[in-house]
Amino acid sequence: MLKNPAHPKKGNLKEKECKFSRAGVVYIDYKDVDTLERFVNDQGKILPRRVTGTSAKYQRQLALAVKRARHLGLLPFVAENLR
Amino acid sequence: MKTIFYEVTFIINPVLEEDQVKEVKEGFESFIKERKAEIDEVDEWGIKRLAYEIDGKNSGYYVNAYFHAPGTIVSELERYFKLQDNILRNIILKYDNKMLKHRELQKKGKLPVIFSEIPEEE
Repeated sequence: MLKNPAHPKKGNLKEKECKFSRAGVVYIDYKDVDTLERFVNDQGKILPRRVTGTSAKYQRQLALAVKRARHLGLLPFVAENLR
Repeated sequence: MKTIFYEVTFIINPVLEEDQVKEVKEGFESFIKERKAEIDEVDEWGIKRLAYEIDGKNSGYYVNAYFHAPGTIVSELERYFKLQDNILRNIILKYDNKMLKHRELQKKGKLPVIFSEIPEEE
């Protein structure tokens, strides 16, 4: 990430790793709601790659899986616990 | 004839009596069987809470099915689901190679674990 060893942020930054690549996932299943929930914020929005560290390949699959889960009422489009 | 592997999930109206739910499910099974589908697995998840309201309902009875069938079944199924008043939502997925691999692993119970329950190292 940061090449400069004297950079003030060095040491604070955690190297992010794609959790799907590490586990060797072939396909992200929309039925696996427990996993999908971890990549969604309280409002039900899909978290960006820069936050979760997911690789581009899996982020695309993840987005599709979340959308399918939403269609079937497994995940919310918008969570409305706060108003 | 060449067949394709499909996965279908649909939500049945939770207000129905138990035997009516069974009827809807069996209706679906016989519908696909008539169209030369080979059922691999039919899994009922039972009544689950919906994340948001669908047609004024807060819960639904989920049914998940896997089967081999000729490709012509898709449009007929879509029409069938539309005509069924007691099916709130449905999804039809055609399986590609990756998904088939996933399915095989799932059957063996060897799916890769994404989040281990052990708290993070460091």
